[in-house]
Amino acid sequence: MRPRFILIAVALLALIAAGCGSSSSSSSSASASASAGSGGAKKCTTSIAIEGPFTGPVAQIGLEQLHFAQLAVAMDNAANATNVTLAQDDTQLTPALATQKTQAIIGSGAVAVVGPAGSQEVNAVGPLFGRAGIAFISGSATLPALAASGKNPTFFRVVPDDSVQGPQDANYIISHLKPKAVLLIDDAEAYSQGLANAMTPILQKAGIKVNRQTYNGTDTGATLANALSSLVTSQLNPSETVTVLPWQTAANAQQFGLDVQQQRKKTILFGTDGTNSPSQFKIPGTYVSNFGPDISSSSSALDKSLVSGVAKYGPYGAFGVPTYAAADVLMKAISSVCKAGQTPSRSNVLAAVKKTNIPASANPLGVPVSFQSNGNLTGSPGYLFKITGAGKYIPVPNK
Amino acid sequence: MQVFVQTLVNGVTTGMLYALIALGYTMVYGVLKLLNFAHGDVYMIGAYIGYFVLHWFGGPTALSAPVPLVLLVMFALAAGGCGALGVAMERFAYRPLRDAPRIAPLITALGISFLLENTVLLLFGGFTRSYQTPSFLPFSSGLHIGALRIDIVQGMIIVLGVLMMLGLRWLVNHTVLGKSMRAVASDREAAEMLGIDVNRTIALTFFIGSAMAGVAGVMSGLAFNQISNTIGFLAGLKAFTAAVVGGIGSLPGAMIGGLFIGLCESFTSSYISSQYTDLIVFGILIVTMLVRPTGIFGAPTLQKV
Repeated sequence: MRPRFILIAVALLALIAAGCGSSSSSSSSASASASAGSGGAKKCTTSIAIEGPFTGPVAQIGLEQLHFAQLAVAMDNAANATNVTLAQDDTQLTPALATQKTQAIIGSGAVAVVGPAGSQEVNAVGPLFGRAGIAFISGSATLPALAASGKNPTFFRVVPDDSVQGPQDANYIISHLKPKAVLLIDDAEAYSQGLANAMTPILQKAGIKVNRQTYNGTDTGATLANALSSLVTSQLNPSETVTVLPWQTAANAQQFGLDVQQQRKKTILFGTDGTNSPSQFKIPGTYVSNFGPDISSSSSALDKSLVSGVAKYGPYGAFGVPTYAAADVLMKAISSVCKAGQTPSRSNVLAAVKKTNIPASANPLGVPVSFQSNGNLTGSPGYLFKITGAGKYIPVPNK
Repeated sequence: MQVFVQTLVNGVTTGMLYALIALGYTMVYGVLKLLNFAHGDVYMIGAYIGYFVLHWFGGPTALSAPVPLVLLVMFALAAGGCGALGVAMERFAYRPLRDAPRIAPLITALGISFLLENTVLLLFGGFTRSYQTPSFLPFSSGLHIGALRIDIVQGMIIVLGVLMMLGLRWLVNHTVLGKSMRAVASDREAAEMLGIDVNRTIALTFFIGSAMAGVAGVMSGLAFNQISNTIGFLAGLKAFTAAVVGGIGSLPGAMIGGLFIGLCESFTSSYISSQYTDLIVFGILIVTMLVRPTGIFGAPTLQKV
């Protein structure tokens, strides 16, 4: 009997491993090498990849990014008569996994990449993409140093960095919420600390006392809950009428908000893009900034087609639109290469991305998309939302 | 004073959960001398069972039955489901390795841990799911006296935890099954020779320990709202630390160890920094192993030569 059980166990393990593999790694079919022309009609055929957290604590964000990227690929393929496939690489927002996936992408036929999502991931994979000459465009990595260091020569982003977002948020807090003291908690990750570092001096300069705290954002379950509850218990003072949460996990911000309610304390929460998730973070009265607009009630034809295109996936936040823009940049770059009679390669797609110039009317960000020499966006969009009693995100002017 | 009292309540709540998980570790170690590292993932499965039962009743905002009934079914099915899972793990993974070198079941336990974690990932996705407890158990329904604030979920965890520990203690000390468990823990071969059904006793031990982890999983979901497929690993390690600190194999040790670890975490978070909690908890594990490897309640084992 024993060998039979062992066989069953091994078979089960293999089944699980196979399932995991198929859900998270680059598919070989999607990473076919670039080629122009197939069959009778000349068609621009190649592949790109997307790195994002499709599983794990921030899967909600990653899947939203994936759906919008898929939509961009489908719409641009139809509009430009291209045949570009999108391979999916799940990084779970961890630099180690992102590095592993990046090495796989470099070995595949992908000519460019959407993502990764996190600044810490870009830090890890930027030099690898740089050496391989692969353009990669993040729709959410905002750490200023990513573009300033020169380590990531093929990095682009379609979102403003923290030196734009941080001051915008800090100035809004100063001029509209007018606190005497602020509790500012980072989650010990590069993204979070970057934003906190950008906001702290501005708040202090305005005479606001900043109580700066840190918790371990990688903790889970009871340990995480204990840490958040203890922060509310011991650090949230009555004078701190605003609490800033520049975190990457919306569910943690929701838990913090519930702890505030449970302990009957009063403070206005102010989250940043990482916490922007209408399905997970819905503490009434909270402000959440983001680099993506709310297109749900927009009258533009493009925005309407995006809204209907992702409707089947359920509620979405503001992470999808910038990722759509990132994928759109790559698709338009590939199309321009093909129109010039060339076969898409990593080098000519990279060169085309650098020349990107998409007018505001032709992309959902609401600003023209073009890049500075360091890969940063030329314009600087910034958006702010307030959560209503019903948990709905309502746009508010952020000036 | 308010900070101290609230920190104490947070610590006792967390500690009670660790204690319930640690009891499973310590029971299994007692009868099999096996460190079941998959036990934390059984707790995670319990949290998921509770979540799906909650949604089977219409979800947190639209429950189709009275809240006490829903809670009862959540706890009962999580306990039953996790108990059955524990028995299956023992039957198919550990029993065939009972006479193998001790490293084999240890590695198997780690394998089962990953198997469970990834199975949940495949079946239910990597989303963080929320019990949304305040929707059906409002914070206002708790006990609020001066600086002391115990919401209804914290109160439930503390009361249920104490009752389960007392029940387990009674079971082990005053029932035939408890006698069998103690006999198997003391000398498995001798117990078999005396007519005790060792396989059944071990299976029931797994059932009880896993059922308690299942209940702890539901409690965790109710108290901390968020659950995901990864919550079991760290909680399991903390509970293992609690079991070692208390004296692995000792039921009172697991209880005291769990509370001690919960309080350490809570006071570290409040008075030092939450960044240091893991450092301090696992530092305590190392110091315990170096200074008193048998833990607080563990007795040194005599080795036959």
